[in-house]
Amino acid sequence: MSKEPLTIALVGNPNTGKSTIFNALTGLRQKIANYPGITVEQKVGTSIIGGVLHKIIDLPGAYSLNYKKLDERIAYETLIGSYEHEEIPDLALVVVDSSNLDRNLYLATQVMDLGIPVMLILNMSDVAKGKGISINPDLISNSLGVPVVAISAKNKSDIDQLKQKISESDLEVPEPLKWGPDDSLKEAMNLLINEWIKPYTNIPESARSIEALRLISEGEFNNAFYQFEKEEKGKSTIKKARELVEKGGGNPMATEVLSRYNFIGECTSNASSITSQTKASLTDRIDAVVTHKVAGPVIFTLVLLFMFQAIFSWATPFMDMIDLLFVEGGNWVANTLPEGMLNDLLVDGVIAGLGGVVIFLPQILFLFFFIYVLEGTGYMARAAFVMDGFMTKVGLHGRSVVPLMSGFACAIPGIMATRTIENWRDRIITIMVLPFMACSARLPVYALMIAAFIPSTTILGIFTLQGITFFGLYIFGIVMAVLAAFVMKRIFPTGQQTPFIMELPAYKMPKWSVVFQNTAERGKVFITEAGKIIVAISIVLWFLASFPKTEMPVLTQTDNTEYNSSFDVTENPESYQLRHSFAGQFGKIIEPVIEPLGFDWKIGIGLITSFAAREVMVGTLNTIYSIEEEDGESSTLKEKLINDVNPETGQPVYSIATAISLMIFFALAMQCMSTIAIVKRETNSWKWPTAMFVYMTALAYLSSFIAFQIGSNL
Amino acid sequence: MMHPLSNGKEGEEIVVRCLDCHCDDVCRLNELGCVEGAQGRIISNQKNVILQLGEARLAIASTLAKTILVSSK
Repeated sequence: MSKEPLTIALVGNPNTGKSTIFNALTGLRQKIANYPGITVEQKVGTSIIGGVLHKIIDLPGAYSLNYKKLDERIAYETLIGSYEHEEIPDLALVVVDSSNLDRNLYLATQVMDLGIPVMLILNMSDVAKGKGISINPDLISNSLGVPVVAISAKNKSDIDQLKQKISESDLEVPEPLKWGPDDSLKEAMNLLINEWIKPYTNIPESARSIEALRLISEGEFNNAFYQFEKEEKGKSTIKKARELVEKGGGNPMATEVLSRYNFIGECTSNASSITSQTKASLTDRIDAVVTHKVAGPVIFTLVLLFMFQAIFSWATPFMDMIDLLFVEGGNWVANTLPEGMLNDLLVDGVIAGLGGVVIFLPQILFLFFFIYVLEGTGYMARAAFVMDGFMTKVGLHGRSVVPLMSGFACAIPGIMATRTIENWRDRIITIMVLPFMACSARLPVYALMIAAFIPSTTILGIFTLQGITFFGLYIFGIVMAVLAAFVMKRIFPTGQQTPFIMELPAYKMPKWSVVFQNTAERGKVFITEAGKIIVAISIVLWFLASFPKTEMPVLTQTDNTEYNSSFDVTENPESYQLRHSFAGQFGKIIEPVIEPLGFDWKIGIGLITSFAAREVMVGTLNTIYSIEEEDGESSTLKEKLINDVNPETGQPVYSIATAISLMIFFALAMQCMSTIAIVKRETNSWKWPTAMFVYMTALAYLSSFIAFQIGSNL
Repeated sequence: MMHPLSNGKEGEEIVVRCLDCHCDDVCRLNELGCVEGAQGRIISNQKNVILQLGEARLAIASTLAKTILVSSK
């Protein structure tokens, strides 16, 4: 093998353990970036193989290169080098599930047609053995004409064996069209390539046969071809090519597929055998219950209830520890540094702002942990299946379930996950309602409000009112998403319906190292990405809340009548200063707009800053309340909120109605610049993010108004 | 005797005979291994269908299952 650094792409069907191999090869030397020009996550890492540092790309899972979904298109376009600054991979590692060889080899035969060196990895060989399937890798290798290695990605020794095989590879390009299209199909391909693709398109040479086969099969152009000239010529050539296939007795739609499967059948019939067949597998027995039309939705609801109750309860001790750490850390800095602006900035700005958000890291880690476990076990696909009927009725699609559930963690991966939805109308409705799903950024606000204002009464012995309220907010988000989808279904024109079809992976124990690694990665992203915004906003906010410096007038009780509009004698100097700061003045300007929702000017400032990112709200409140705090005091934000009193009315600022109104506002408002940006990128238009921002924020205002007005009058 | 997949019974061993659906759906079914001549077993048929094809387990909407013609093995 060349001693030059190579670009190695991992390609394969979904659920073949591709990412496990990627993690095993790259370890911690990996990063999540975007593909050039599109906001689609690309996992890239490096691995030292044979003493050389190679670049490894983990491509999105794909069933074929005849892409119908954006994910598949990305995999294909990476392999043919369509992206700027991204060269054609030097080696494609095609990962296949050994226990489902024939189906997986379909994609492998397509990749072999691209004119790049290919190595086949028979992953999950242990699973195949467990099912009584034995495979001879040498025979497969001889039939396909590519190197083959059988591994189980869970075993380190197998990964070493894979590395060894890569380092020994001679990077030979496999014979194209090894699967043997019949003469009429070959003739049709040549016609299309020579009369249209070659002269009139810029499709790279390596991709021409795949493109020709796709055009013959589909019989029409897809979006990728609109930009090319001589469209009419292209259409007439496709027609001629299809006629050639028909003359040869084939069906243009199926000839290629059947030829490939026939070839695959010949390859595997000699090389693999099944020695035992269990009648009812564990997956069968679990599916009988989990996908049952009545039990399925009930189990799905219980899974969600358990998940959110656990997030709320299990994270509490860790949150208390972090809270204590930041309070003590702030006190230490305050007492160690000399008094002055730097001391104030660090304690009231940076530490308070950051501490207010880092405290929610345990809940976010638990949330992602559960989502990765559900994915890892194979349950997520069942959830989509179970909910398909209901989703279709409300205007969504069964495939919307997984993006919507991802939205519980963060709307951004959720919106990106809608790429698996082929129908544009289904996809756009899913995108438009997805931000209603209670993402982890809302969690800090919910957790704070619930902990401060909802009693921790025990219900049915195991649940608490706080946990149920927490769960209720998630259900509220789901209900609003469903209602919004129901309305949108009637607004958007109906196009070609895409019926639900999905592969259900076998149940298995999740790979715990992958679960923990991915969870930690998401936690790191939360801290670094949110942290950057929060620190910046906290510093700006500290400045706005600390300046201009205003001295509190020294007055006696009898003078109060003259100045009662500007201050209250019971007010402390810090609170007076805050009210007269830039932030205070701005808050007072917007207060009349938000007062009907039960919010005061301090919450108003939090609402404004949280339009950058929802989690900033808590950091903002922490900064504001820390600045307002009298010297020497140190209490948690929760205590500060509970004890906050309106100096003008003498009434507590927060009531249960205020807390509920605030949580409803956060449940419904579109307060995330990153989501707006990703919707713009995914829809390639400002129309959809603008519409999303307007309708969600208007709905949030109206709903909070109704909730507060009813709640405060009860 | 051919019948739509949606009319199949749980546990029935079937052979896929004809995919009488839209071109896009045929492509998707083919990629997932559901081609004419493929043999499988109906795992569940409660409106939507779960079909075991080789080692692949496919969840198929009832509307699509109506267009997949199969015969008992």
